[in-house]
Amino acid sequence: MSRHRLHIAIMVHSQIIYEGLHTVLSQSEIDCIICKVDSLDDLADILHSKKVDLLIINPLLLVNREKEARKIRKNHPGLSIVGINLSIVDNHSLALLDSSFTIFDTVEQVLSKLQRIGIDSELKAPSNDDNLTDRELDVLTQLVHGYSNKEIADSLNISIHTVVTHRKNITSKTGIRSQSGLTIYAISKRIISIEDIDLQNH
Amino acid sequence: MFDLIEENPLLLLMMQHFDIDFRVGDLTMSQLCKEKGINEKLFTSIANLYNGFKPKENPIDSVDDVKQIVRFLKNSHDYYRNDKYPQISAYIKQLQENHPEKELKLLEKFFNEYFAEVIDHLYYEDTVAFPYFIELISHKPNNKNNLYSAKEYSEHHTDIELKIKDIKNLLLKYVIINDDLNLRRKLLFSLFELEYDLYIHSLIEETILIPFGYNMERV
Repeated sequence: MSRHRLHIAIMVHSQIIYEGLHTVLSQSEIDCIICKVDSLDDLADILHSKKVDLLIINPLLLVNREKEARKIRKNHPGLSIVGINLSIVDNHSLALLDSSFTIFDTVEQVLSKLQRIGIDSELKAPSNDDNLTDRELDVLTQLVHGYSNKEIADSLNISIHTVVTHRKNITSKTGIRSQSGLTIYAISKRIISIEDIDLQNH
Repeated sequence: MFDLIEENPLLLLMMQHFDIDFRVGDLTMSQLCKEKGINEKLFTSIANLYNGFKPKENPIDSVDDVKQIVRFLKNSHDYYRNDKYPQISAYIKQLQENHPEKELKLLEKFFNEYFAEVIDHLYYEDTVAFPYFIELISHKPNNKNNLYSAKEYSEHHTDIELKIKDIKNLLLKYVIINDDLNLRRKLLFSLFELEYDLYIHSLIEETILIPFGYNMERV
């Protein structure tokens, strides 16, 4: 259930700033779970047991901890780090960040910076255009006939990776994820005919 | 409490999950919690989830709170199992009988298979996951010998919400059905209600129960 929910860790010492960030994020369109961490050790501990997508940190807390921060980045390449600047920050600390904003930025500016570092898929409405390309239609047709990714790849002479990409695009264009759902979609859109489908197996 | 319900009637569903009667009289939320022996912080956190706010800190204070949450989640299971899913299933069946299109036959089949998956998942939570958390608070299990953990629980998330979205999308965007707006509206309303409660359900698991499990295991 949680595949697309964003896990955000916030590391600031000020309770007021934490609460403020929490409120801004909770009230935005971002579907997220927020937790407070007190130190990089604390963060590393959490990262052991679960995935964190984004760390929002007061960059001053990185001073003299560059080594630990780099280690975390290396071990968890999926983690983005954004600074919330309360004051002037030295370049060493800034270099560890993907992006940063200041406490004087507006809510819109903050959210737009978070979007720019690539968590925007959570914010964007799914595309309304369900015009599938020819290739996507090929993949869809085979998919609803029950072929596996590997079988589809072999028959269309493309890599499995490409099949997966097509499937992702099909889902984002149609808003339908499951195979059964896609079957009904394909019939409604007259992409395949109902006679093609064996009702017993679907 | 009356005012809160007027502002967000969905809180009635929450109260039912807490085993609280709807006739609240003039009791305040705080009085109501005291009367029912529910930690007010916990009650507020979950009410806030229903109002769209996620908890800032874990509201679990005591062993009783964990029992309370587990009972809440189990009651919501009963609601899915005995109320919401059968209702949706009946609407889809009716729709299928009213309209001969084969897509609807497939939709019914899709839903029935999905319903079976949901029942399995609820059974798993009732018999494996929840007893584990109860055990965790009554005596600390030796985690090295224990085959189960909060981590495993968190990984056992299924695509329950996603398939509801599929059905909703199919009905709102693709499948052509003529008229029958009353029945279709009832079906869609039911799907939205179910989706909403499932969402809260998973938030309670993810933001309250699982983090608590991690903390207990670490001790």
